[in-house]
Amino acid sequence: MISVRNVSKVFNAGRPNAVTAVGGVSLDVRMEETTLFKGPSGSGKTTLLGLIGCMARPSAGRIFLNEREITSLPERFLTDIRRATFGFIFQQFNLIKGVSALENVMLPAYPTGEKFSRLRGRAMATLAMLGLEQRAEAKIEWLSGGEAQRVAIARALINNPAVVIADEPTAHLDTKLSLEFIGIMRELKSRGTTIIIASHDPIVCDSGLAGQVVELRDGRIVAGGAAP
Amino acid sequence: MAHMIERHRHIIDFTLATLLRRKGKNGGLLLVYTLIIFVLASVIFFTEAIKREAMLVLRDSPEIIVQRTLAGRYQTVPISWCDGIGSIRGVSSVQPRLWGYHFDRTRRANYTFMVPAQAPPQSGHVDLGSAVARIQGATAGDTIALQGHDGAPRAFTVRKVLESESQLLTADLILISERDYRDFSGLPAGQATDLVLQVRNQREYATIVEKIARMHHDARPILRSEILRTYDAVFDWRSGVMIVIFSAAALAFLIFAWDKATGLSADERTEIGILKAVGWESSDILLMKFWEGTAISLTAFMVGTILAYVHVFLTSATLFAPVLKGWSTLYPYFRLTPWLDFRQVATLFLLTVVPYTITTIVPSWRAATIDPDVVMR
Repeated sequence: MISVRNVSKVFNAGRPNAVTAVGGVSLDVRMEETTLFKGPSGSGKTTLLGLIGCMARPSAGRIFLNEREITSLPERFLTDIRRATFGFIFQQFNLIKGVSALENVMLPAYPTGEKFSRLRGRAMATLAMLGLEQRAEAKIEWLSGGEAQRVAIARALINNPAVVIADEPTAHLDTKLSLEFIGIMRELKSRGTTIIIASHDPIVCDSGLAGQVVELRDGRIVAGGAAP
Repeated sequence: MAHMIERHRHIIDFTLATLLRRKGKNGGLLLVYTLIIFVLASVIFFTEAIKREAMLVLRDSPEIIVQRTLAGRYQTVPISWCDGIGSIRGVSSVQPRLWGYHFDRTRRANYTFMVPAQAPPQSGHVDLGSAVARIQGATAGDTIALQGHDGAPRAFTVRKVLESESQLLTADLILISERDYRDFSGLPAGQATDLVLQVRNQREYATIVEKIARMHHDARPILRSEILRTYDAVFDWRSGVMIVIFSAAALAFLIFAWDKATGLSADERTEIGILKAVGWESSDILLMKFWEGTAISLTAFMVGTILAYVHVFLTSATLFAPVLKGWSTLYPYFRLTPWLDFRQVATLFLLTVVPYTITTIVPSWRAATIDPDVVMR
């Protein structure tokens, strides 16, 4: 269970241009289920994903991962948790250009010091699962949008994360590819992976993929979320 | 341990791939860095090599040389001085030397003539230094002609071409018999170019020099150590001037390196953000930056040093020789003896790689602390 308790995030705090991206949010994300954050642009979905995924620290409030508070942990421990627990799929894919699809997939595991041959085998297997084994050596800029998206998914899965976080994953995909993405998420869900998606795309919102839907507006929850 | 090695290996692989992806930027940095090291290494190698050449030249030279001056100009020395100087306590031997310079107008080259103390060539024969033989296009058995002091040519048969540990020692040398030399140079009988002394105890040098000066007021005794010191001072001064001029370029490079390291492009910031977002720690980014700096600085150091070695020892320092050698001090065309001192390489390393590493530490740390959520915003 991921528990968010009264969490706020203020950017540029104390300055005239301070912005409260998330204000006093509390919710529970159940493991092995799919949670959808929906809401218009600027509603705080991405910021909330970043806070849950240990990419940023809240300005106030606390976050618990399996009842362990993670908000006050030093950066090194947060990174360990991020690497071991979460896999990220970004809106812009955020793949590194100039290197191959295979190397992009292996990148999150480099700091673990895993033997190269074993790591490569695992990355190839993940790419094969997503139908990309033939494109493993292709550089990122040579891939189509759908292929790049699947490489991003493979990268998110390389460390066998318990939780996959996807931020507007279909924003740059056409309908066919968006449906393909939802199919992959269903497959992951069936294997017991916890999925948290932020999206305002109707294809995702109406897909029935999410067991829990949390609606955000102006940094606050307006519907859903098991707040205590 | 195996994990740590694998971690380093992965990060080094990725770092090299990253460097190759930004060929233009890193290539430019590498080029300038290599050039800086090449210039600095050339100056250091050349200065040390030529000082060593001077040391080799003087290694077997006599401890004390006695010259004669008149109105501050060198004059020939009467051989009759030998008896008086030889009687000074502590002097084991005094020998007159016959030697001098000769400018070959035809080939526009300077030669040093010398009458060797042991095994001089027969009259009508000469031994040639390698550079003289090259310039004259002569080998053993050939005949060469040189214009004497009176303008009349003299013909000599080449007995052999000299070989030596130091080319500076013999490059411009012509060994000749006493009779031929006096005829060639016009040096009158009873006169020598200078006198050389052998002294048993080096602690007596100063006393003996003082006694010679008292005995002959126009005598100018010179100690071997003074000559060595003069060479050192001359070449240290020249390399110092060169390095001072060059330091402006080195400073410009450090500013360039700092700017390169601090001025992270949007792409680089995003990449670091991605790496941190997918699970890289700040220490992993620092490690990547460390290997990046190491790859650039070590490559530049090795290439610059090797190029400088080739430049100094294989092409006779074509680029800097006129500044460092000085055309009037030494024979202009000779090849330095290849030689490398570990201390020189270590000094060069300290002067180049260490400042670069220090300059890029802070920017690297700043890059490593970029928030991972930069890629989500």
